[in-house]
Amino acid sequence: MLKSWKLKEIVLMSLFAVVFGIVYLLFLHVGNIWAGFIGPIAYEWIFGIWFIVSIICMYIIRKPGAAVVSETIAAAIEVLLGNAVGPRLILSGVIQGLGAEAVFAATRYKRFDLWVLMLAGVGSSIFSFVYGYFLGGFSVYGTGYVALMLGIRILSGAMIAGMGGKAVADGLLATGSLRGYAISRSKKGEARA
Amino acid sequence: MKNALHRMNPSVKFLAITICMFTMAFFFDPWTPLVFWVGVLVLQFFFSEIDWKKWLLFMLPFFVTAFGYFWTTLVFAEDGSGSVVWSIWNLQITETQLNHALSLSFRVLAFSSLSLLFALTTNPVTFILSLMQQLKLSPKIAYGVMVGYQFLPVLKDEFILIGQAHRLRGASEEKNTLQRLLGVRRILIPMLAGAVRKAERAAFAMEARGFTGERRSSYFRVISIGKVDAALVILFLFVLVLSCTHIWWLG
Repeated sequence: MLKSWKLKEIVLMSLFAVVFGIVYLLFLHVGNIWAGFIGPIAYEWIFGIWFIVSIICMYIIRKPGAAVVSETIAAAIEVLLGNAVGPRLILSGVIQGLGAEAVFAATRYKRFDLWVLMLAGVGSSIFSFVYGYFLGGFSVYGTGYVALMLGIRILSGAMIAGMGGKAVADGLLATGSLRGYAISRSKKGEARA
Repeated sequence: MKNALHRMNPSVKFLAITICMFTMAFFFDPWTPLVFWVGVLVLQFFFSEIDWKKWLLFMLPFFVTAFGYFWTTLVFAEDGSGSVVWSIWNLQITETQLNHALSLSFRVLAFSSLSLLFALTTNPVTFILSLMQQLKLSPKIAYGVMVGYQFLPVLKDEFILIGQAHRLRGASEEKNTLQRLLGVRRILIPMLAGAVRKAERAAFAMEARGFTGERRSSYFRVISIGKVDAALVILFLFVLVLSCTHIWWLG
């Protein structure tokens, strides 16, 4: 899979992971403080932000694996930054990335419109929820409460990761710095800058 | 002996911690995570040289989180069987609910101490090198991650710089937390544009110096697995087994 990857694409993902690693940590602190007041449901509203890097990278690079590799690198960078959630973040990164990757794979990496990106956010939401259900022991909660958590997370995944991710990537495309990546090739009919 | 956890192979440590966490996820009584948490603290106390003040500072938010888990589990827990131990207003708290609530809170504490144990005793660069040498991570990804990690201070400076530029030109000042979170968006795009250029330059520089991304047969810095690792893995498993079998020895 990695044979077709250029080094600059991998380094790009890594640098995006650093930028979003900082953003993720910011949100994690906000989430932690809220969780003290309203319990684990506090994370659900903002959960979409943690999927955003996989969607942005896939939207820009458009190669199989871009979602899962970028999310894993972002998680690894978060661990390297020395945060207290620690090594289990890497695993949750892989799982979130796989959720988005599954949706892109289902379209055979052909379609990258808003609906697919939002669906990818939903995919990450569902995958990460199953993992969180197991590791966070959500099974002790009532069914209604769990359904509410899942509903909010899916909404957050679609809105923040899907729509937000597309907005950020489109904004970036407008700056002209993405020449030489798949995203600008598709707009100009295979013409390379 | 005192710095054994620091000398432990990072990949082995990573795997040991992951196994411990997944095993813990199967238990819903308060004692298993509590015993495990104490075990982790004892391990960290005897085999690492960390700044405990820093540890406490990192742990503080997790105590808050654990409390959040505690009360929401009490209120929203499904299984309401067992005798009533406590009642406030018209809320009846049964023994099962209390046990579940305590279990989840201790689980949060156990998981975060375990994570801190890793974070405070592991050198990031050694961790990546070890992932590449022991767990066969692709060198392309390993060195890519390290490039990103090296750029961290540069990006941090840039973040401050862009913020200052915005203020200089009179972009509106955010007052509350929510507005500040939404305002991140305006800083994000210039930062990402800078990141794209840096990534390209770094990748070209690496390739110009002959980096192909092929796996090497030997490394400049060899990360090995030794006796310390075996001993510590046995200790981790001992703590794990001890906490899982507490029913037999606690009575």
